[in-house]
Formats: sequence, structure tokens, C-alpha cells
Amino acid sequence: MSGHLTTPTIDAVERCTQFAAAQAHEAGFSLARVREIELMVEEVVANICRHSYGDHPGNVELSCERLDGANLALEFIDYGRPFDILALPMPDLAVDLDHRDLGGIGVPMFRALVNHATYRREDLRNILRVIVHAAPRLRSDSAAS
Amino acid sequence: MECKVRTLANVVLIEIAGRIDHGTAPAFGSALLPHVEGCTGETKKLLLDLGAVNYMSSAGLRVLMIAAKGCRKQSGKMVLAGLQPTIKEIFKIGRFDMVLESFASVREALAALAPAAVASYDKS
Repeated sequence: MSGHLTTPTIDAVERCTQFAAAQAHEAGFSLARVREIELMVEEVVANICRHSYGDHPGNVELSCERLDGANLALEFIDYGRPFDILALPMPDLAVDLDHRDLGGIGVPMFRALVNHATYRREDLRNILRVIVHAAPRLRSDSAAS
Repeated sequence: MECKVRTLANVVLIEIAGRIDHGTAPAFGSALLPHVEGCTGETKKLLLDLGAVNYMSSAGLRVLMIAAKGCRKQSGKMVLAGLQPTIKEIFKIGRFDMVLESFASVREALAALAPAAVASYDKS
């Protein structure tokens, strides 16, 4: 099983999230893990639109490949300026409410939800490859399967 | 995403349902942030029932952070109730559990915020 999506940034978050959810669902992932993958994809694509394209129009490509029964590979490609989500600094979350930044939470969320990720810059493209396993990363006593 | 607002004694209870993501977070902010105004001391307290929220991305967390900071600036109180297990885990990742007070249920939150509101809640 594999699939590919190309979408303009204007609705890239929604379309990529739906696409990845459908792919994970088709691969037999639990609803809990599908939601985690939706969260991860939302964070990645929102960051591509913001940092790589600087909120200017562009295209985002997402391909999904089933590696085996329990692993999916998701590859995000964009044509903006060099942007590596893996290199973004972790926000300081240990401070009190008054000193907390409003942004930056997507980075720890992304790291918590993926099993493996690599970035490369190639032919003026940012390529982020993410491997997700079927097992949920977050504890959820009500996880529907 | 849907929001319903009820007033119980000096507590404004906002019941939120559905998905809070990149697309719905602006509407969530528009529904929530006006209620931050006047949230100060014992005059008005905010209680957000998130029991029916099944998805919250960083876009939703950002709205919560703006509201919590706004309340704090006015010496007001905003608490949460009924977080689903996955949302709780997301809160832990972002350490929101350290800066936002939450309760297992709306009733427990009301008992802590304004006992007078519990009777109104039980009758409703």
C-alpha cells in the first residue's frame, strides 16, 4: 500500500492530516494511533507552512508507504527555504505561566509521537521522512481500536 | 467544534465538544476569549469542560494558554475539567498540567471554585 498527495499550503494542514489518517486507518492502526498520527502531521505541515514558506503560498507533498504490518513511512516534501523541524529548539517548558511562550509546543509533541525521523535538503527541497509504528505512543486507557 | 456557555453562580461554564485543530482553533478562540474579560477574583471564574473534546493540537493549546495568561493578568481563575486520557497525555508533553489546573469532573471543579454553583449544576 502506498499513496501520494500534493496540496497547496492554503489547505495543506487539513488535507495532509486527512490523507495520513486514511492511510493509517487502512493499514489497520488503532483509532488512538490514527489520532496521534493526525496530531503529528498537523504539527509538521503547520510548521512547513510557517517556517519553510513563511506563510507564502507553495505546495506540500506527502507520500505514505507501508513498510510492513506495523510500520508506515511518511515523507513530507516542500520547496521552500531550508527548514528542518528536527533542528528546532525545544521550548523551555519548566517555567511558570507568566514566562511561558505561546508557541513551540509542536516540537515536543512531534518528537513524542514519531518513532524515527530524518531530514535532508535535496535539489532545493526539504524532505522529512518519518517512521511511525502501529503501537500508540501516548497512554490512553480509553483507546478505541 | 461546538461551545455552549452556562452561568452557574459566579462561574461561567463553557462546555466544549469535538475537535480543536488548526482549522477550528480560531473559532475556539473567538468563543472563549471574550469570556476572559471580567474574569477576576471572586467576581467571575471560568470553567472549561473539555470532556467531549477528542482531539486537541498545539493550535488549541495555544488558545488555552492565551486565555490562562489573560485570566492570570487580572488575578482571575480559569480551570479545566474532564480531560480525556489522550488530551491529558498531550498536556503532560507540553507541561500544561503544571500551569493549568484541572479536575476530573465538572462537579469537582465547581466544588473547588464556588460551592454555591454546585447546587445549580445538580439541578440542571
